[in-house]
Amino acid sequence: MRNFLAMSVLATVLLSGCGYNEFQAKDEAVKAQWGEVVNQYQRRADLIPNLVNTVKGYASHERETLEAVTRARASATSVQVTPEVLNNPGALQKFQQAQGELTNALSRLMVVAEKYPDLKADASFRDLQSQLEGTENRITVARQRYIASVQDFNVLARRFPTNLTAKMFGYDVKPSFTVENEKSISTAPTVDFNKK
Amino acid sequence: MATTPRQTRGGGKASSRDEDRLSDPLIDRDLARRTGGLAEHARRWSILPGSPWLRVVIGVAILLLLALVVTGARAADGFVAVPAHAARVTDQAGMLNPQQRSALDGVLADYERKTGSQIAILLVPSTAPEAIEQYSIRVAEAWKLGRKGIDDGVLLVVAKDNPSSLRRLRIEAGRGVQGTLTDAQSKRVLQDVIAPHFRQGDFYGGLAAGVSAIATLLDKEHFPAPPGAQGSAAPTDGGIASGSASASGGVAGMAQTAGAGGIPGNEGSNATQNAASSRSTNGPGSAGGSGDGGGWSAGWLFPLLLFGVFVVLPMLRGGSRRGLRRGGWGSDATGVLLGAALGNALSAAAHRSSGGSSWGGAGFGGDSGGGFSGGGGTFDGGGASGDW
Repeated sequence: MRNFLAMSVLATVLLSGCGYNEFQAKDEAVKAQWGEVVNQYQRRADLIPNLVNTVKGYASHERETLEAVTRARASATSVQVTPEVLNNPGALQKFQQAQGELTNALSRLMVVAEKYPDLKADASFRDLQSQLEGTENRITVARQRYIASVQDFNVLARRFPTNLTAKMFGYDVKPSFTVENEKSISTAPTVDFNKK
Repeated sequence: MATTPRQTRGGGKASSRDEDRLSDPLIDRDLARRTGGLAEHARRWSILPGSPWLRVVIGVAILLLLALVVTGARAADGFVAVPAHAARVTDQAGMLNPQQRSALDGVLADYERKTGSQIAILLVPSTAPEAIEQYSIRVAEAWKLGRKGIDDGVLLVVAKDNPSSLRRLRIEAGRGVQGTLTDAQSKRVLQDVIAPHFRQGDFYGGLAAGVSAIATLLDKEHFPAPPGAQGSAAPTDGGIASGSASASGGVAGMAQTAGAGGIPGNEGSNATQNAASSRSTNGPGSAGGSGDGGGWSAGWLFPLLLFGVFVVLPMLRGGSRRGLRRGGWGSDATGVLLGAALGNALSAAAHRSSGGSSWGGAGFGGDSGGGFSGGGGTFDGGGASGDW
């Protein structure tokens, strides 16, 4: 009995000393932040049908752009990443790619909308525009917080001596967001004034 | 506990900013000069006769000094610092005269007394190189406007000289107020209420109109009343009536969570002021650093104590505890445990020093203690940016 007691206390000490509890807390933090990220992306997806309809009212012949947004929304909402799949870099990559395509399609739509003064003056379009802007900002904030929480977890998983705990219980370094299209950012854009 | 300092400094941005700062050539040179000086010291000292232990001790001391120098360099960054959280209206851009400032402050203080919701105004010259929404979320995260769990804080930021690409107006809406102060409504307040005044150079008029528009929107949401609003018999929703301070109103359940938030203050209350100023001398006042410090010592002292009682004592007594000795992993365990305790203590010390110095750099250390601090509200980046 005394042996058992000593062993269990020792186990507690060992586990808390080696960051087992910290792993649990940080793992949950990562999951919570991920929930927020998905939540905000979902919020953006929910805005899109209204936005598309409003734009359609003024610029129905911009079919290509409108359809691109609808398509991108459909494929983005079909990729769902639960916290359990989060440890899989491939799944995160896929999710990120789908959302990135939606971002691109949406920004093209907003550029097109600039050409229609009536649309820009429309009250519901203005509201939708500011909602979209706010949601994009929320997405940015949520992603930053997710990256920070993942970084916290990963530092713990790599730092000595908690890396031993990580090895023992199989806590892998978690994947995080990366710059979406590194290549297109690193190549300088060409400016052409002759085109018109 | 390791998460606290980073979170208070602006989430994920903190990491990338840190890297930016370190890669700044000016700082690098500065750092090299200072650390070079230290290396010089080390060389001179190592010539001195002394036992190896003395050298180890000196080496550790040098390492700690180095850590201090590095964290000191990190505090000086290229981004606009989050200003001290001393008043509801913070004017760093010289847009208001003192009467106007205190009038607005009075309106906001009054509003908080009546409704419990916190609205703050921050006027800065510029947020470059960040966009205004990146800056304002950092401020909002540091100030923690709004009550904890209700999240009814609103931050209005004006960056007078920002280029139009970075925007000049921003409403940062707490999570709890976004039901009525939606992104669209925030945008309207900026564009239709504040901007017309600002275009004519009437900053005070614009801010006053904007504040009343925000307050009107917040009134549509029915937040829990602040304790003390109905009289002295205040129902405390946090479950703790915190002594004399509770009479001043606005002190809900936050006082007992030392690090999590500040005390939603009230200028009239000496008790609150004292609490706030003693906190800010403590370090990162409303930002959770003092709680971190407490958790730090308890966090690694306790396992160490247990380790002493249950591992060292039995080992000294020897023999009878075969379970511990068997397999010969007793000594390994000692190493791991000691390593863990040391690692924790070192990292905690690093966090503490970095937290302390960075907040000192942001003006918290020298803050003479205004009667205003955030209540622990959270922000998710909702709101709107605009221009005039």
